[in-house]
Amino acid sequence: MDNHLSRRSFLAQAGATLGTLYLGALTPELLAQAHAHAKSMPPATAFNSSLRFFTPEQAADFDAFSAQIIPTDDTPGAREANVVHCVDYLLSSIGVDHQADMTKALAALQEAATKSVPGAKSFAGLTSEQQIAVMKAMEKSPAFGGLRSVTMVAFYDDPALGGNKNEVGWKLIDFDSKFLWQPPFGYYDAHATEEEKV
Amino acid sequence: MSAVPPMRHYKLTEAVDFLIIGCGASGSVLARELSQNGFSVVVLEQGPWLSTEDFSHDEFRNWTQALLTNDYRKQPTTFRKTPQEKPVTQPALVYGRMVGGGPVHFTANFWRFHEIDFIEASKKGTIAGTGFADWPITYADLEPYYTKAEWELGVSGQQGASPFDPPRSKPYPLPPMPVKSSGVLFDRGARKLGYHPFPAPVAVISQSYQGRVPCQHCGFCMGFGCEMGAKSSPLPYIIPQAVKTGRCEIRPNSYVRKVELDQNGRAVGAIYFDKDRKENLQHARAVIVAANGSETPRLLLLSKSNRFPDGLANSSGLVGKYLMFNTDCEAMGKFEHPLNEYKSIEVTRVIHDFYEIDPKHGFYGGGGIDARFLFYPISFSMWGLPPNVPQWGSEYKKIVSQYFTRTMMCAGHTTSLPLENNSISLDDEVKDAWGLPAMRVTYKDHPDDLKTNKFLQDRGMEILEAAGAQDRWTTPVEESTYGFHLLGTCRMGKDAKSSVIDIDHRTHDVPNLFLCDGSSFVTSGRGQPTETIQALAFRAADRITALAKKNEI
Repeated sequence: MDNHLSRRSFLAQAGATLGTLYLGALTPELLAQAHAHAKSMPPATAFNSSLRFFTPEQAADFDAFSAQIIPTDDTPGAREANVVHCVDYLLSSIGVDHQADMTKALAALQEAATKSVPGAKSFAGLTSEQQIAVMKAMEKSPAFGGLRSVTMVAFYDDPALGGNKNEVGWKLIDFDSKFLWQPPFGYYDAHATEEEKV
Repeated sequence: MSAVPPMRHYKLTEAVDFLIIGCGASGSVLARELSQNGFSVVVLEQGPWLSTEDFSHDEFRNWTQALLTNDYRKQPTTFRKTPQEKPVTQPALVYGRMVGGGPVHFTANFWRFHEIDFIEASKKGTIAGTGFADWPITYADLEPYYTKAEWELGVSGQQGASPFDPPRSKPYPLPPMPVKSSGVLFDRGARKLGYHPFPAPVAVISQSYQGRVPCQHCGFCMGFGCEMGAKSSPLPYIIPQAVKTGRCEIRPNSYVRKVELDQNGRAVGAIYFDKDRKENLQHARAVIVAANGSETPRLLLLSKSNRFPDGLANSSGLVGKYLMFNTDCEAMGKFEHPLNEYKSIEVTRVIHDFYEIDPKHGFYGGGGIDARFLFYPISFSMWGLPPNVPQWGSEYKKIVSQYFTRTMMCAGHTTSLPLENNSISLDDEVKDAWGLPAMRVTYKDHPDDLKTNKFLQDRGMEILEAAGAQDRWTTPVEESTYGFHLLGTCRMGKDAKSSVIDIDHRTHDVPNLFLCDGSSFVTSGRGQPTETIQALAFRAADRITALAKKNEI
């Protein structure tokens, strides 16, 4: 990941990378469909005819990749957030412009897997340790950056898009989705002296 | 997705008193003032007319789809650092593209310029190789209009809290917003170092005002439209007031491609594409371009004619030149306890101790530093963590779960020197979705601007340390490749050879053509230009009204 990008260039980068999935017209209707679709999906364990864009092999690879980016450990990870189905839906409906980028990125992942473990059939088929080694080796590549970013989008965005299921992403970072607050907001303003408050 | 209210409609052939191009920060103010002063007004706005019901907290949708801003897919831009370079097609600037303009999505920092901003070149001397100059108006000329802007829009702040504040004729209409944890820590650190932090003046209402509900602290100001109508953009009050006069028509989805002249060189109206891409010519007795510091010069350059082969009102050759972005820098800090900066407005404390950096440091510049967060969940996952920690895996999860609520930023906002090469021009090859030449941005920061930026970043790091941060980090200060503040491209001045408009915002070349927005700036100020853009608009409305009443347009 390029951490030297100013956070303000996030706006500038929109559209330029897979990670920000510059979408067409995400109308309320499409949003509702995305939500309904996500709700109807089984947990991301078996990838089959429910897929709209990914092949089952691609879905398995992206599932393995995103589960390494945000693993399931003592708290939920990308799998519990429904990341694969969220991205699958976005790419099949409103992010079709990015299908080619995604295909290319997954091909690069597959290639890196084969290079690292000769004879490997897929990234998903590697052991967890092997997967991590492959990912570390390609960490600076645009393919890795794109796949990581799109994982983050599906993990942290508004659950209405189909990812961040049960707000597991927001819960991880203690982002409380009330969107309605009164002071005090945090520890330091709660414990400020009267002088500091004025 | 449309909130067009019932209002007066004018025929295309009906020459209205004023045709205003752009319904943003300045155009909306001019529309209200001129229609209230009895004139007939049509406003052409290229973006849609959205209302509070159209706004959401969906970070992904809002930022990636250009719901409130110019859409790079339809309006590509090209960028180069110098006129010698071949321009590259890439996003180069952003502006509000909707009825209400940039203030709909802005962070709402609302600073006046100080007295020095208008007279700095004569106080400090000109700077070789730059267009550094005094404004032809002073702070005293603009003061009544700063006050008017604060009271008409609804601004929260505390008079007298900053020893560096310029004189003001009236206090803020509303008390400051409640301080956040970032504000408390910033206040602590800054005071330890002998600085003078003060409550941030913001265009957000802290109490009920104009029949509007006060801020509910949802935390989604920067980049988002306010669902409560508590952010003081032109949407909740100024625009409804303009419509209510019965003399003002605002036409959304109207993309102007040319200001039309008659054979005497007077503006007769403007040609625009409506939402069905049909071309129309709206007739008018006078035209005011208020389309922002990038679209205003672009429209003039597009409006070529035999009389003005280099672009309308461009006898000086300066239309589009002296573009200034303001730069900004970041110093990040992580603290022991949760700050929960995702709640409430961005900024609650500011310092102006470095508004004028001591020249003994060896460069020209100045700015303000504020306390803020500036991230949402997705953007924090992309760019929020220190660069030296894991960005994925179990270790990443542990770190992000600690840092998201405990991180704050000291953001510096600085001067940009006016340089002739820095400009908006028409691209030779790339076209927009309407077939018009795309905007070409040429920009390279003056070395002093980057030194100013670094200086403020260092001060920000010291404030974080003094406040007790456990971890601190920065992003490198680099040359700008993207602009948020679009200033200076049709500068105001007394001399027709060295400026585009006069002190009444009238172009030197066309008697009934006026320009009023960020393009009018002579210098950049210290990074929060919106209040000055709107004060200029209130003042311009008075000046233009006086000219019209004397029959001098």
